[in-house]
Amino acid sequence: MSSRAEFLTRIRGQLAKTPALFTAAPSLRPARPREVADTIRRELAERWQESLTRFQREFERVGGVLHHVADVQDVPAVVGRLARERGASSVVAWHPSALGFDPTPGLAAEQLTVHGMPDVLPDAERRRALRETIATTPLGLTGVDAALAETGTMILRSGPGRPRSTSLLPATHVAVFDRHALVESLAQVGVLLEAWHTEEAPGAVINFITGPSRTADIELTLTRGVHGPKEVHAIFVERPIGE
Amino acid sequence: MSEPELATPFRARAGEALHDGFLQQALTIATTKFIDLRREAFGEFPEGEALRDRARAIKEATLQRLDHYLEQLVDNVERLGGTVHFATTPEDARRIILDIAERTGARMAVKSKSMATEEIHLNDALEAAGVTPVETDLGEYIIQLAHERPSHIIAPAIHKTKGQVADLFSRELGRPDVPADPEVLTAIARAELREKFLQADMGITGANFAVADTGTVVLVTNEGNGRMVTTLPRVHVAVMGVEKVVPSMTDLAVFLAILAKSATGQKLSVYTTLVRGPRKPTELEGPDEFHLVLLDNGRIDQIGGTLREALSCLRCGACLNVCPVYRSIGGHAYGYTYPGPIGILLTAMLNGPGSVKDLAHASSLCGACADACPVRIDIPRMLIELRKEVDEKRIAPWTERMVFRAFAWLLGRPALFRLTAPIARLMQRPFARGGRITRLPLFFGEWTRTRDLPPVAARTFSERWDDLAREGRR
Amino acid sequence: MARTRAALMITCLGDMLYPEVGVAIVRLLRKLDVDVEFPKGQTCCGLPLFNSGYHTEARAVAGRLVELFAEAPYVVVPSGSCAWMVKHELPGLLKDTPLAERAQALAAKTYELSQFLVRVLGKRRFTSRVHGRVTYHDSCHLLRGLHESASPREILRNLEGVELVELPGHDECCGFGGSFSVRLPEVSSAILEKKLVNVEATGAACVVACDAGCLMQMSGGLTRRSSPVRAMHLAELIEGAS
Repeated sequence: MSSRAEFLTRIRGQLAKTPALFTAAPSLRPARPREVADTIRRELAERWQESLTRFQREFERVGGVLHHVADVQDVPAVVGRLARERGASSVVAWHPSALGFDPTPGLAAEQLTVHGMPDVLPDAERRRALRETIATTPLGLTGVDAALAETGTMILRSGPGRPRSTSLLPATHVAVFDRHALVESLAQVGVLLEAWHTEEAPGAVINFITGPSRTADIELTLTRGVHGPKEVHAIFVERPIGE
Repeated sequence: MSEPELATPFRARAGEALHDGFLQQALTIATTKFIDLRREAFGEFPEGEALRDRARAIKEATLQRLDHYLEQLVDNVERLGGTVHFATTPEDARRIILDIAERTGARMAVKSKSMATEEIHLNDALEAAGVTPVETDLGEYIIQLAHERPSHIIAPAIHKTKGQVADLFSRELGRPDVPADPEVLTAIARAELREKFLQADMGITGANFAVADTGTVVLVTNEGNGRMVTTLPRVHVAVMGVEKVVPSMTDLAVFLAILAKSATGQKLSVYTTLVRGPRKPTELEGPDEFHLVLLDNGRIDQIGGTLREALSCLRCGACLNVCPVYRSIGGHAYGYTYPGPIGILLTAMLNGPGSVKDLAHASSLCGACADACPVRIDIPRMLIELRKEVDEKRIAPWTERMVFRAFAWLLGRPALFRLTAPIARLMQRPFARGGRITRLPLFFGEWTRTRDLPPVAARTFSERWDDLAREGRR
Repeated sequence: MARTRAALMITCLGDMLYPEVGVAIVRLLRKLDVDVEFPKGQTCCGLPLFNSGYHTEARAVAGRLVELFAEAPYVVVPSGSCAWMVKHELPGLLKDTPLAERAQALAAKTYELSQFLVRVLGKRRFTSRVHGRVTYHDSCHLLRGLHESASPREILRNLEGVELVELPGHDECCGFGGSFSVRLPEVSSAILEKKLVNVEATGAACVVACDAGCLMQMSGGLTRRSSPVRAMHLAELIEGAS
């Protein structure tokens, strides 16, 4: 077993006797990432149609399905339809504080049993029960922290009321977002990540999700739904959520 | 690879692979597909070239201050409630992980694909200690059931037919008559492994990157097993080579832009998971404990060594796909954890120059690997350096060294060099037929077994020069 | 105006096995008003030594080469791999010796044949000695080492009576690799087999390359299988200026 000190000493020893291969520097980082991130979001929200079109193209390329609704109230109807088409009658959903709206009444009207995620940590037994439930529920409903147009990727942060498994265990993942989530490029995502890390994070994980789970490990034949969801749907809400 | 297999010389292993008809077919299809996908991805990505240069620079800049960035990483991981361990040897790493398993009462560990854990031969050690390791990446799951090692860095079961996988599942999972249908096979794996994910005590992963500035470990996967393994069990252990650290999130974005494109032609893999320590106290899910095992295993020595550039490797597999040698013989013939062009360098790094006395020559030095490498590692140059080391350390056979020295000696004596032509013309007479040589004795037979050779010319260019010079003066 | 002077670096394989290529180059250059010199005492550029890791020996060979070719304003080489050795590795080998500057100078004035014709002399149109369909194989060191894939193709495309067809996998190695071809002959031959299948698929009567090693490997395989396809050096196709 070695210690931190040993490792560092050996590394420093190597560095001391080695010239650099060439002059090099890491990436320049934004001095005020939150400001830059806000500016990016604002600008993109203004020309959201362009970004959305690009997002849709890339999202569909990786097997995602995009739905476009006028208002957040129209979301439950889409979820209800998806559920019926798949013979499903229940859905796991992020807490309303994480979603930005409360889908429960609307989903109940669609004859769906809603397992809403708590935003306060329940006791161990309740947590076990919840895990059972999530593992056997066919649909998962989440929000989206950033929708990356360049690659058709949805970025979700974990935290209270927004557990990781909602977008992982159910066979169908449905994610809801509006124009404020749109970003164009990975470079901009870099800025976003810098910005998020200047303050306390809600949870320990950030997940980038680019379409349904897939593999080509058997004779390079593409199959979907290996461990993660087999289907990924995104619902774009034209009227910004919470407005 | 077990020791008896390594006892077969490399050339013989390569020969066997060449005669394996299905392997040949599988290799051609798979590598060609990967090459096309990669070309397409970079074809529609004009910023790609500049980003490759950036990526290379970031890796070099990080190495130049590796101590600083590692310290930063360690501090951040610990600040967020994780524990960092330092493993100099594979034995150290195994001991660390077994201790964690014992202390936490782990009986079963689910693993996301990790070449680092292959490198330290972790699974055998876990089994021996009564902890069942379960590979969850479909390709790794397949080869685990088959008791084999991976044959490609990113597509470990590329050498298996769907028929072979179906038989394997039938046999090992007690499911009769599994059809050779990838959809069905995937569904079976999904069902079998979901149980394991939900019951496992420990999740073990590698790490594609670790961001020093934030203490984040980054996992790039397609199947979702990386997420499962870091969400459901109560302990998460990530094993990572020290060279994988990157300074900041801005740097990470550069690598994410080129990694998946280089590996599979995807813009991004399906899941990129940024894990920052154990779950927050207010989170519903996530491990209670997070352990980062930093692995040396020969890497630190290369910071000042000839293989320094190889420390930039992103483990994307692009060099394997374009290598004419890999494409002919596949991964197992190399005999070590990492195959292909970068694999030869990594093998030397982990096991010393003696381990590559044959492998260093398993290359025509065509340079396709360096071309394909997203961080522009000059693999051919380092292969030549390894050959030099093998010569200088007298690892190469003395007969070979003698031949090359004799050749060099001759090159410095032009008059004697000129004599080789008439001598060769004399000696080749019994073998030259119809303007070509079809058979030669001894060592030269290595060529003529499969190819003809042009005879030494009746008059060499040097012998004709005086006439040519005269011609020019007319 | 004084005629251009160029020294020919014939290379060891060129000297012993393909002298007719050297002869064709000399005659062609003369037709293009280039005075060709042939420094006597040439043997080899040292690439086989270098590639197998015998760098001390390669350095000695390099030193001789630098002296031999010190005088000429240009050095023309019929093989991409040898041209690469001189341009890329010689300076490094002689870096800490008194010959360092001369090595740099030699590197700067050395050209593979097609590069010399197109980029230095500016000549790309020639009459051809053969007619029909040809295909072109990119030698690894010429393509990736010297970044040259355009000049040979320009010449071939402009050769009257010649139809150039792209070779599938044109940038894939032929399997020669110097000593690789005899250290791992089975693998070398398997790689060659793929190359020849591609060559035959083009329907070309001849595969052209700018490297003696590649030509040795490819023609060795072609004649062994009694193929009607010939492997030829670019210089062998060119008759004269158009």
